[in-house]
Amino acid sequence: MSILDVRDVTKRFGAVTAVDGVSFRVGPGEVVGLLGPNGAGKTTTLHMVLGLVTPDAGEVRLFGERLDGDRTALLGRLNFAAGYVHLPGVLTVEEVLRVFAHLYGVRDVPGRVATLLAQLDLDELRRRPLRLLSSGQQTRVQLAKALVNEPDLLVLDEPTASLDPDVGDRVRALLLGLARDSGRAMLITSHNMREIERMCDRIHFMAAGRVVATGSAPELADRYGVDDLEAVFLRVARG
Amino acid sequence: MSALLASAASRQRVLAVVLRDLYALRRSIVRVFEVVYWPLVELLIWGYVSVFLQGRRVPAVIAALLGGVLLWQVLFRSQSEVSMAFLEDVWSRNLLNVFASPLTPGEYLVGMVAFGFAKLVASTAIMAAIAFLLYGFGLFSLGPALVPFMFLLLVMGWALGIFTVGVVLRFGHSAEVIAWALSFAFQPFAAVFYPVDVLPGPMQAVAAAVPASHVFEGMRTVIAGNGVDWTSLVAAAVLDLAYAIAALWFFRRMLVAVRRSGGLSRFAE
Repeated sequence: MSILDVRDVTKRFGAVTAVDGVSFRVGPGEVVGLLGPNGAGKTTTLHMVLGLVTPDAGEVRLFGERLDGDRTALLGRLNFAAGYVHLPGVLTVEEVLRVFAHLYGVRDVPGRVATLLAQLDLDELRRRPLRLLSSGQQTRVQLAKALVNEPDLLVLDEPTASLDPDVGDRVRALLLGLARDSGRAMLITSHNMREIERMCDRIHFMAAGRVVATGSAPELADRYGVDDLEAVFLRVARG
Repeated sequence: MSALLASAASRQRVLAVVLRDLYALRRSIVRVFEVVYWPLVELLIWGYVSVFLQGRRVPAVIAALLGGVLLWQVLFRSQSEVSMAFLEDVWSRNLLNVFASPLTPGEYLVGMVAFGFAKLVASTAIMAAIAFLLYGFGLFSLGPALVPFMFLLLVMGWALGIFTVGVVLRFGHSAEVIAWALSFAFQPFAAVFYPVDVLPGPMQAVAAAVPASHVFEGMRTVIAGNGVDWTSLVAAAVLDLAYAIAALWFFRRMLVAVRRSGGLSRFAE
């Protein structure tokens, strides 16, 4: 059974078709990347997966069930982090994790929070309000929040955007470790080609709302007769 | 068994909303200050106006004006607490985390209402104590009838708060002003400081459809020593029910609409 099954989804905003008949799957333990230029429809697709946007056509199935069925049960098995979504800045790191642990129905809240603080190297920051943290530290808190319920599917929308190369590299290593050690399925978008190359088992290239190419990073490079994913990206983006 | 587990999980999610607000309140001196500041300013102004008028031998003025001030705060603050809790999520760009979580919209509203209620109880207790110390006015000197009247004002405030959330969801940041303005739009018709029959005919017709006007009419009946006006009480309860149903329906419609239009995503911008 697929963790995520996106079937022929379409979303229009007025005259603009943001997503046009997109289909893909994410299997257990698989790390899948959505790539494409700005306006390709990646974020709209992710928001349909998260139930934030309702598709005009097609359907999103999580764990074999339609998302418009038992949303509470289905959304409780996934989690997400995005560079553009923030957490309440006045709360401390520990408070944020405690709130989200309750929100996601975690049974041992103190234990889970302690584990995450240690896992993401946040112990020393536990009593500090989020608004006083650097963007790299805030990203780590976002990831801790995204892992609070030990999700079966982790959705990450440009998780390393706005991070400097050093912090971005640390976060990537962390995500890679998570993917490898936990066997957790991930759906990730990024403009960082090396990130996607390193992390993803399979990549869907999107352009103008459609999936235009699918494969692993080496397969895609072969198909387009180029050396790496960045060159594939440029080919796709420039038509 | 599964129903019990579901209900425990639901309570835990509501607790998460309450905790979030509690933590935010604890860390914001401005928010703590606000619990007392505006009600206190109103209480001082209207309290001394009523002391002045009583000196001119206007009967029952203190009770009517201070009762009005304190009860109006119940309505205003119950509306604004729900609206502000939602706006905190908007301002902190946390709304997508909320709506992509297992929290149901109903649980979200219940959490905001529960925390707002706790703040309101604290705020009203402080105001009642100050009114007693400064003017010798005991809020509960109006009798036990005050409790159902306060509850009816709370429900109207919550309904307006939920309506506000729906409007901001649908129209975004530009509609935030409604969080402060909405309850004041009802104030002239609510007859807080004067009886409904001083209003012109068309305004009286509007007032008849406002639960608060029946509450304040009922309060004045109690102050005049004529006991509980059951007609006012029942009219306010029926109207409250209609307001609450309409607000929940509106909120749900707006949520469906923004999920279709992609409007929820703009709260991350």
